[in-house]
Amino acid sequence: MHLIETKHLSYSYRDGVRALDDVSFVAPRNVKIAVIGPNGAGKSTLFRHLNGILLAREGQVLVRGEPVTRRNLREVRKFVGVVFQNPDDQIFAPTVEQDVAFGPTNLGLDEATVMHRVDEALGLLGIEHLRARPPHHLSGGEKKRVAIAGVLAMEPGVLVMDEPTAGLDPRGRDDLIGFVNELSRGFGMTVVLSTHELDLVTEFADYVYVMDRGAVLAQGTPGEVFEQEEMLRRARLDLPVLSKLCRSLREQGADLPVSYTFDEVERNLAVALHLRREP
Amino acid sequence: MIERLFEIERLADGDSPVHRLDARVKIMVCFGAVVALVALPRGDALFPVALAFGILLALFLAISRIRLLAFAARVLAILPFGLSILVFQVLFPASPVHDPTVVVHLLPGLAVTAEALEVAVQLGVRFLLCLGFVILLSSTTRVQDLLTGARRLGLPSEFTLILGMMTRYLFVFGQMFVRISNALATRCFDPLDRALPYGYRLRETGYTLGTMFIRSYEQGERTYQAMLCRGYGKDAYLLVPRKPLLAAEWVVLGGCMAVVVGAPISALLLA
Repeated sequence: MHLIETKHLSYSYRDGVRALDDVSFVAPRNVKIAVIGPNGAGKSTLFRHLNGILLAREGQVLVRGEPVTRRNLREVRKFVGVVFQNPDDQIFAPTVEQDVAFGPTNLGLDEATVMHRVDEALGLLGIEHLRARPPHHLSGGEKKRVAIAGVLAMEPGVLVMDEPTAGLDPRGRDDLIGFVNELSRGFGMTVVLSTHELDLVTEFADYVYVMDRGAVLAQGTPGEVFEQEEMLRRARLDLPVLSKLCRSLREQGADLPVSYTFDEVERNLAVALHLRREP
Repeated sequence: MIERLFEIERLADGDSPVHRLDARVKIMVCFGAVVALVALPRGDALFPVALAFGILLALFLAISRIRLLAFAARVLAILPFGLSILVFQVLFPASPVHDPTVVVHLLPGLAVTAEALEVAVQLGVRFLLCLGFVILLSSTTRVQDLLTGARRLGLPSEFTLILGMMTRYLFVFGQMFVRISNALATRCFDPLDRALPYGYRLRETGYTLGTMFIRSYEQGERTYQAMLCRGYGKDAYLLVPRKPLLAAEWVVLGGCMAVVVGAPISALLLA
């Protein structure tokens, strides 16, 4: 049984736009999944199905093996936490602390438990110092963290983030990736996120889905997906810069294995340039 | 409530000869009908005119292929306003008659008279028909087309610009509202959830409304600055290019106006 599974999920908006077309998506336990695709590929629509903001009309959405219905919405939303792309949509309480406490309070927890969870969530994201600040005084990166803390405080089993790196500076982006890796390593949490930044995908994802025009074009490990250059081009995507460099050097005759993450490429290049011996 | 906005837009976005008809024609027919219904003196002449207008309305509805249920739902939503006026008209007639025929005594000094009932029926018929025409107009014409149509008919450009921005931001805030409610639902908040304390729900709903207010204020400021950057000033206006009516549209306009103007005049002359 997977934590989240969609079976042949299709969805059309009222104006007839087919946003999802026969999408079968699986999120197993403790896996980091990246969903990539151009704008309008259906990533956000898929995510909105995962916690029942949209209910499946064609096909099925299963959370812990059970179909999402109006009856179990509360349980589903407790288990699948969704962080929206624009933190301003999500943060609305007068202070950071109150906003992070909002979710756990709605779950009917007592005050001590709520405060404990708020402390944990703020600590996890390193934003304890923002506690008493009003949200409109925060920077974009800080708001993003508050939005994530607000969802983490509900202690979900799966964290779904819609383009979490949009609008973040490079340092903020790295922090976020570090944090996602920590969630997986330290808490065994499954993380699903969508992004346009392919360099990032190689750095954190265990598994990748490529979407275009509502359908899943390809899926697999980053290595398997980034091998398919033609498919990526069709989906108006590109190769991560490092993979592109490796490929180009190989075509020019360099003896360089195809690799994707920064560490791998660095090691292989150092060997090829005789800066380091074969591992 | 504001989600209904998108439903109205979807209705108006349909495709039928009535939807495609130039907005100017629809505005003129609708306003002509409303003015005629309001201006017609009280008396028996109203009923044949109402019949003629009713047939015209039904014809447009049939051609526009609007689902009758959707149409009726929108009429029902506004009906309470009209009904309350009718109730007051029956209980406290605006123009008391010298020797009224009492139908029912309710309380000392409060009675329903046949004359007041008759006035109420006439008022009700006018109200329903006016409502029908206005809802027909808004269900078959997109807001943007209404605006360009009104501009082409001579609405001052200042109004067009302000109304245009108003509709644009109405939709922006409609979408903002939908996104915020999704975010609240994601964190399991339901203002009608009795398991949560009443005061808490009230406070959180208050925060939501306050956030919407702050955000609309900020959005307004940002937009105004962006407008200034693009040279906005007192002489700014929305570009509405000229567009002559097609021959077929002239024919429809002529035919409808013949009914709208001709029916009341001939009814009055015959009476």
